[in-house]
Amino acid sequence: MIKVRHLKKVFRTPGGDELTVLRDINCDIETGEVVSIIGPSGTGKSTLLRCLNRLEEPTSGVIEVDGKDILDHRTDINLIRRRMGMVFQNFNLFEHLTILDNLTLCPMTLLGKSREEAERRGLELLGTVGLHDKAGCLPRELSGGQKQRAAIARCLAMEPDIILFDEPTSALDPTMVSEVLAVIRHLANHGMTMCIVSHEMQFVRDVSTRILFLNDGIVYEEGTPEQIFENPRKPVTRAFINRIRTLESVFESRNFDLYGLFGKIHTFCNKYGLGTKVSDKVEHITEEMLCGIMPFCGPVKLTIEYSEKTSGLSMAFRQENTTENILDSTDEKSLSLMMVKGLSSSVNEPETGTVCVEI
Amino acid sequence: MRRGLLFLIAAVLWLSSCTGRKAQDLSGVNCVEDFKGHSVAVAMGGSYDLMLSEMGGIDIIRLGVGELLVAVEKGRADFCIIDQYQAGMLNLESRGLEIKFKNILKGTAGAGFRKDDSLLCSQFNGYLMGIMASGEYDEWLDEWTSASDSMADASLLVPKHEKKPGGRPLHVGITITYPYLFLKENNLTGIEVDLFNRFCEKAGYPVDYEIYDFSALIPALNSGKIDVILSHMRMTEERSKQVLFSDAYIEGGGAAVCRSENGVTSCERAGIWSRIKESFNNNLVVERRWKLMADGLWVTIQISVLSIVAAVLAGIILCRLRMSRRRMVSSPTGLVIDLLRGIPLLVVLMLMFYVIFASSRITGTWVTVMSFGLYYGAYFSEVFRTGMESVERGQWEAGFALGLGKFQTFLKVALPQALSRIIPVLKGEVIALIKMTSVVGYVAVVDLTKASDIIRARTLDAFFPLILVSVVYIILAWLTGMGLKALENQLTPKSR
Repeated sequence: MIKVRHLKKVFRTPGGDELTVLRDINCDIETGEVVSIIGPSGTGKSTLLRCLNRLEEPTSGVIEVDGKDILDHRTDINLIRRRMGMVFQNFNLFEHLTILDNLTLCPMTLLGKSREEAERRGLELLGTVGLHDKAGCLPRELSGGQKQRAAIARCLAMEPDIILFDEPTSALDPTMVSEVLAVIRHLANHGMTMCIVSHEMQFVRDVSTRILFLNDGIVYEEGTPEQIFENPRKPVTRAFINRIRTLESVFESRNFDLYGLFGKIHTFCNKYGLGTKVSDKVEHITEEMLCGIMPFCGPVKLTIEYSEKTSGLSMAFRQENTTENILDSTDEKSLSLMMVKGLSSSVNEPETGTVCVEI
Repeated sequence: MRRGLLFLIAAVLWLSSCTGRKAQDLSGVNCVEDFKGHSVAVAMGGSYDLMLSEMGGIDIIRLGVGELLVAVEKGRADFCIIDQYQAGMLNLESRGLEIKFKNILKGTAGAGFRKDDSLLCSQFNGYLMGIMASGEYDEWLDEWTSASDSMADASLLVPKHEKKPGGRPLHVGITITYPYLFLKENNLTGIEVDLFNRFCEKAGYPVDYEIYDFSALIPALNSGKIDVILSHMRMTEERSKQVLFSDAYIEGGGAAVCRSENGVTSCERAGIWSRIKESFNNNLVVERRWKLMADGLWVTIQISVLSIVAAVLAGIILCRLRMSRRRMVSSPTGLVIDLLRGIPLLVVLMLMFYVIFASSRITGTWVTVMSFGLYYGAYFSEVFRTGMESVERGQWEAGFALGLGKFQTFLKVALPQALSRIIPVLKGEVIALIKMTSVVGYVAVVDLTKASDIIRARTLDAFFPLILVSVVYIILAWLTGMGLKALENQLTPKSR
């Protein structure tokens, strides 16, 4: 239904600099699919979505909707847009019209429906999103969740072939997120074709048929929800899905600033709510590893990774310029190693020179 | 802070003490030379002004004709000088005033022509010579001076003049100066008007009189707005440099008016109600002067409505250009808007009338509408712009995303929202515009304010016409406000 090839979007900042948001996007959306776009913030997920109905003008590339090139200036974009609904982060209900008039304005103006017909259909749709008794209200009298549901109903009033959701729950209180997601879920179950940009990972996983992971201006990884969430193949996807936070430091010699490092570790643990017990443990292990075990025949790199999703904490000590296996060359009975083993759940050396400690 | 406040109060007290004058002994003043050391109110830019200025040592207070008597009444000036014919006609006693002495500051007056228009001037001089020889001149003067002195029914003397059809009319600039040129029952009449009408009838010119401020007559003549000045203009050396005067046809003299010596103020003499009744009678009923006011009001309404329409149109165009994404269009428009807003409206109006449209025969009304349209268009455009910018980008995007075109989105989504924010701000501007139309007297349009000026120049009563005019403007502003409020309510979104 929608085909995107080599889409590129460059923003020009007021200072005259160029900012490439989308480098080379290639993707397809078929009828009946629910495609979700996820990725780190600032990777152009919303921009991609807005390019699909040309609210953003792409710099180059091809977007075809039902075989029609929408970037061709001979194509009447307004006709295409009638069949592509869009739900905005900030709802964008027409502030001067009642909810029902919001729903009837476009069907009456564009589809030539009579007022009675449009209102009957409008009330019906308000019923499906649970807002039948709010028909006569103004948008400002509604809560955020109700506004977003009304906005979805407004899209449906145009009987679109596809609905684009641009972070539909980002501007909502946590208490109102679920009512909006329930409506979207309902639409998915009824076979509506949708393209969703969202940060609600659990929801995206449940509702999508396919997921596009956007990173660095391209579709970095693509697959079913199971593939992306259970077995992400690429490192950035993995880090994003498991919400991995890292702390990295490099030490040239054994005479490094130990207490400065302790400070950093403490701050890192505090930031992700790990508590003093864990940070003491990490500090102990770091001290024993760096002062007792690592041979320092070159710089040593320390990487601490914390996955917010699994709550797993792991530390990797990498010794440059070594050909010897560090754990093998360390005395089994050495006090340092015994302490490290005691404090951690596992210590191993998957490749020569790198010691991994899991807590 | 407190010190500043004290200073302010002190300043106000000092200023107010300056405005009130102590009554002075005026019994020793019996001729013009005795004015030295006294304050004398005269019409601004008139010949009395010039003559007294040359003498020096006199505290000259320059005012509009209508305010002269009031200044003496309220003690702001010891004397005022008005035309002796006019002085004889006013009921000065009832206002606690009297004529101290007259026949002063005499001078001869003539009609003024453009320097390069000697043909018309000599034609007029020829006519004067003719009637002086035939005796018609003496007849004419006798008829008028006796009528003025006895205040006989001057309606007999209303010139029986009929407009000659066809031909370019002579444009004659006048200032209402009783009894030389004045309005009676809404018809222009007076000694000089009668004379000039006789001339035109004889010479076969259609004639068109336009009422100007005295100080605007010479610029209007030289810019080609008018062909003749007929305004009891004294022939001074200075004026002769710019105006070609005809032979003198009348001699005028002034009267010095001061407060009655018995010092009884009029308030004590007559009850406040009878005074108001008399004012009402004098300013509105006599000679059907209300008709002049009504005509002025109609002109004010016409000018206001046309100017508002023009300003809205200009505002829309300027706003559209200002909001253009092309720098080449938006920046010059911004500059024009800033320029227009930086010049006082009166100056814009005068520039348009005396400079830009100087040589065209376009009437003051249309120049007014154009000037007000441009000037308020600049203000309106900024109101429109802020109104349009207050509509969030998201509202437009929602319209676009649903398939509405640019114009449809503007019409159905952006405009209704912008309007409900524009109207309340515009209300103030529109009312300001209506009130500002009171300056159009400067370009020879007789609106409500000018009409009251004309009446004041005749009755020399400042209070009543000004209060009446204020009330009328308040009602106009109030009605406009109500209308716009109703429109605003119409546009405010309501839930059902």
